[in-house]
Formats: sequence, structure tokens, C-alpha cells
Amino acid sequence: MQAAINITPLVDVVLVLLIIFMVMAPQMRKGPDVNLPNTTKPNAQGDERGRILVSIDEAGGLWINDQSVAAEHFDEALRAAVGAETNPKIVIRGDAKLNFREVREVMVAIEQTGFRGVGLIAKRTGTEGK
Amino acid sequence: MQFNSSDSGSSLQSEINITPLVDVVLVLLIIFMVVVPLLMEGYDVDIPRASADTSAPVAESQLILGIGATACPILTPPAGEGIPKDCQVTLADQKIPVAELPGRVATILRGRPAEQRALFLAVDDRLNYEAVLRIIDLAKSGVEDLKIEFVAAN
Repeated sequence: MQAAINITPLVDVVLVLLIIFMVMAPQMRKGPDVNLPNTTKPNAQGDERGRILVSIDEAGGLWINDQSVAAEHFDEALRAAVGAETNPKIVIRGDAKLNFREVREVMVAIEQTGFRGVGLIAKRTGTEGK
Repeated sequence: MQFNSSDSGSSLQSEINITPLVDVVLVLLIIFMVVVPLLMEGYDVDIPRASADTSAPVAESQLILGIGATACPILTPPAGEGIPKDCQVTLADQKIPVAELPGRVATILRGRPAEQRALFLAVDDRLNYEAVLRIIDLAKSGVEDLKIEFVAAN
């Protein structure tokens, strides 16, 4: 008499889902791959959906969400990305190799476009992240 | 499941039915797998005012942290964790080793009301961005609700 449930098909399905999500998750991320700075205890900045992501790659190139933008068109592109949102949350994903100048210039550009306050994104030491 | 004398001998099923449990766990697993990689961590900062504002005199009560490129020469990403020991920063016009920063900031700001617990940062442009974030991290470890504001570096 077999009293145990046959879990083999269940495990099959779970593993397939696991693999699907492992493959999909990195691609759902917005913006370019950025080697974020490591710090010990960054604060939560919420979900990246609903944030405007300004990325600065290793070479100093600017990105707004998924699009690379030239520095001279940054303000228009940022306004377009914000759209009609009244209180947008903007975060900066800067590469760890950058000078502070490059990040400061972007912060100033964001301020000059008319938005106050940004989040500087880091990753907790010892965790994975891009 | 009944306690019949007829089946108690060979086929009494005493195991808990775990199927609903597994269902719920799987749904949770999927939810977390979708959400967790999208969560971000970092530091809220206020950004420098447009250049017109920077000439305004700085109020006395503002606590200014200066990080210079000669006293704290971290121009490339610091290896490992933390900040190199030889880094010195200027807090309220006093030069201190960076390791003392959390204690000093906490001492100065402890007595202030929460909305005045702000640290103004004047950072040299040449410094490495990761080093700057680590110094912010260190300063914040002294005071939980510390507000970080940048002032334009000269």
C-alpha cells in the first residue's frame, strides 16, 4: 500500500519554474550593467519599478532607464522619462570606478532639471547585484 | 480518514497532507524570485543647489564634512571592505581620522531635533565614488536618521 504522494512531477515543475526565473530575472532589470559600489549597510530604496533609474557606466556614459542619452540632451530625456508624474523618485546607479565629479555633475543636472533629492544606489557587501 | 478496524492494520494514513503547503510555498517562492532582484538599496541624498545658490552663507549650525583628495587620497576603488586607515576627513573644521567619524557625528548631532540632523558634504571631485559612498555609510552608522546633503565642492 503506497501512502506517500508521488512528488516527482511536482519537483519537475518547480525546477522548470526555478530555471525560467533564474534566466529571466537579470533581463527584467532596467538599465545597463553597472558595477555598483559596495557598502556595509545601505538603506532600502524600494523596487526599481516606479523609480527613474539614472545610470552612469564605467566610461561615464549616461543612461535613463534603458536608454543611453548624451549629456547635452540629459535634461530633456529626464523630463520625458518623468512625464506627468508629480513626485518622481530618481535614483543614480553609478559605477564604483567613477570619480565623484561625474556623479556630482549628474546630481547637479537632475537638480537643474527641477527635481530634489536622489538615491545613490549601492549594494550590500557580499551580495550579488548589478 | 476513519479509524476502522478493517484498515487500521495495514493502511492507516498518518501522514499530513502537505500538498496545500507546498502550493503556498511555491507561490511565495515565485513572488520572491520576481521581486527580490528588483529591490534596490542605497542612500538618500539631497543634491547640490543650482550654482546660483551656492554663494549663500552657510549657517553656523550646519555640520560640514569635508573630504579632500590630499588628506584622504582614495582615487581608485578601495580594495576589500571599509576605508583605508590613512584617510583623514574634516568635520566641523577639525581634522579627524575617518574611523572616528561615526562617534564624532553622533556626539555633535545627538542633542539636535531629528529634522536638524543633517550632514553637509563637501567632497573633492577627484575622489572615487565608491569611497565617498563608504564614508557616507560610515557617517550614517553613527546616527540612524542622518540626512545627507551635498554642497558644491570648490
